[in-house]
Amino acid sequence: MKLEIVDLHASVEGKEILKGVNLTIGQGETHALMGPNGSGKSTLAYTLMGHPKYQVTSGKVLIDGESITGLAPDKRVRKGLFLAFQYPVSVQGVSMFSFLRAAYNNSRPAGSEPPTIFEFREVVADKLKMLSMDESFLNRYLNEGFSGGEKKRAEILQMALMEPKFAVLDETDSGLDIDALRIVAEGINKVSGPQTGALLITHYQRILKYVKPQFVHVMYQGRIIESGGEDLSRLLEEKGYTWIKGYQEEQAPVQAP
Amino acid sequence: MSQAAISFGEDLVRALSRSLGEPGWLTSSRLDALKYFTDLPPETNPLYTKYASTFGFPVDQFRMTAAKSAVDFRSFFSGFLTGKESDIILQGNETQVHSELREELASKGVELMSFHDALDKEEAKVRDLVERRNVKSSGDRFAAFVNAFFNGGVFVRVPRGVALDKPLRRMLLLDSPRTPVVEQNFVIAEEESRLVFLEELYSKGESVPSLVASNLELVAKPGSHVDFSSIQLLDGQSTHISNRAVDIHSDARATVSSLSLGAAVSRSRMNFLLNGRGSLAEGFEIFFTDAKQRYDFETNLIHNSPDSTGSTQARGVLKGESQSIFKGMIKIVRAAKNSRSYLAHHAMLLERTAKSDAVPSLEIDTNEVRATHSASVAQIDDEQLFYLMARGLPLDESKKMVVLGFFEPVLSRVPIEQTREGARFMIEGKWHGEKRRLVDRETLLAETGEITPEVKESEDIFERHYKYR
Repeated sequence: MKLEIVDLHASVEGKEILKGVNLTIGQGETHALMGPNGSGKSTLAYTLMGHPKYQVTSGKVLIDGESITGLAPDKRVRKGLFLAFQYPVSVQGVSMFSFLRAAYNNSRPAGSEPPTIFEFREVVADKLKMLSMDESFLNRYLNEGFSGGEKKRAEILQMALMEPKFAVLDETDSGLDIDALRIVAEGINKVSGPQTGALLITHYQRILKYVKPQFVHVMYQGRIIESGGEDLSRLLEEKGYTWIKGYQEEQAPVQAP
Repeated sequence: MSQAAISFGEDLVRALSRSLGEPGWLTSSRLDALKYFTDLPPETNPLYTKYASTFGFPVDQFRMTAAKSAVDFRSFFSGFLTGKESDIILQGNETQVHSELREELASKGVELMSFHDALDKEEAKVRDLVERRNVKSSGDRFAAFVNAFFNGGVFVRVPRGVALDKPLRRMLLLDSPRTPVVEQNFVIAEEESRLVFLEELYSKGESVPSLVASNLELVAKPGSHVDFSSIQLLDGQSTHISNRAVDIHSDARATVSSLSLGAAVSRSRMNFLLNGRGSLAEGFEIFFTDAKQRYDFETNLIHNSPDSTGSTQARGVLKGESQSIFKGMIKIVRAAKNSRSYLAHHAMLLERTAKSDAVPSLEIDTNEVRATHSASVAQIDDEQLFYLMARGLPLDESKKMVVLGFFEPVLSRVPIEQTREGARFMIEGKWHGEKRRLVDRETLLAETGEITPEVKESEDIFERHYKYR
């Protein structure tokens, strides 16, 4: 079981942002994707999930060998893909409870009987406990008036309920203070077990203290320019992103025809 | 029965009044109204004349007879009633057919009857009420139309100090395009009384192009509390016209909740008259249109007394080529110091072909008040849809969730539980192209399997987001 991204090119409003991304994520693996602002990390996340504004111009994305490139976002969910948003939108009037229930029911295998309202309450209560969240959370409107930390925790709660095969976490660590970061990171660890492949998109190394990736990739100008182990993230932290720029130029003659 | 239909003129006024056995003063009052109907343009307010043609209707396409048709109510209302109803008045087309009031209420002096029965019973009182009507013929051509040509109406009164334990109801059911339903309605809560009134307007079957035009005089006497709700689900070819005046005395509270789903054209005017010190008015205007429906709503908050509080919130979703306009005015006179008023209109468009306008305005003659309004018209948000789809909801279900959620901030404040829960059920029905009626909680549970718990936001009638004038 793997998520394969093969020579993926994508554009937003006619401007090419992804310029040939290659990446394979296996079940149970955690990958970190780092890179400076504007390198295309979030574009990759949205493109994987099928945001209509992001056009795949060539290349493909495969889950289990099957292409998902032409699928609507909800169909990708059925294939086991999940995206934790960097900026989760709020929806007025939709209670967290009914939203979570719909998300839960729509990510079950087709044909399985959805739980009753009471059964679902129990399911969600367990997950809330796991993430040290209060049940009153369920009686609020979806993301409305949530603090940064609450929004990110809510994303992880959704991931916990939907039990994806592959999760893309788009800067789930951004905007969190140290305590919130720890709680969210622990949540990610609890939720992503050996059945889940995770792609952790981040700016900073700090979350990697809590969530240990086996692979670290560096993205720059729409491509992954370097992959390695955890030591790569430390190298990045030490040398900063300006180092990549130099690194990229150093590599350029080799790549040139 | 076979009396020939005649057009809307003096002959019809006289024939109507005669066939209804009315006293002379009422005939004269009708004839006075007729003059305004003949002379007034469809829209008298220069602020709104540019929208008038979109929503106008040629009244002459309808014909009226002065005779009444007989209806057997049991068969006529079959399928519309559960049999558990009490305290209800039923009307088939223009004819009042049945009313039921528990003895314990009747013995306390609660009245639930047709206008003309009330007229027979206590002419002097009714005359006084008619002469002091707040829906004036001089103010609106269609109000004048009703004052001249009404062929029915209900009369509801709760005596001083009496508190009803459950809603009084009224159901109007149409199956005939023959005769317009034109009504003069009175709902009166005497001092310190508590009244909940639930009105439902339905068509039976499909393709019943009819006209329902009503004037409502709602009176909340000092210290009373009235919750009025109206649900309009007429046939898609019908025309609906409504003029309401809500006269609120000192320390009284009146809420009016309207759910509009049906009719081809609906034109509604409502004036909240905050006439007593410490009076409170709340309006909830909820609508969902599709196809080529045209809605034209106007709600005004008129503060005539100090320490009064008013709020009107309209929320609508428009599909297809439907159109709506919402007009609202906050008027605070010099004497109405320390009043607060809030007016909001928010519309969501589901297609580029749908259209909605909002024309809010303020007219304030004193300081020491707080008056705010907000209005927005926007397409459904693609980012919200993407977010929900990324949680596995198919596009249509995502849209439905956003749409139903959009109503909630207003819907969740509707004070009558049955209207609140029923409105959710009916709106969802319209989403699926089904005509659902208001049902009781038991039926609702049986139909939906469960009632999802509500989220209650702050009880403050002023929303958190508003702009100061």
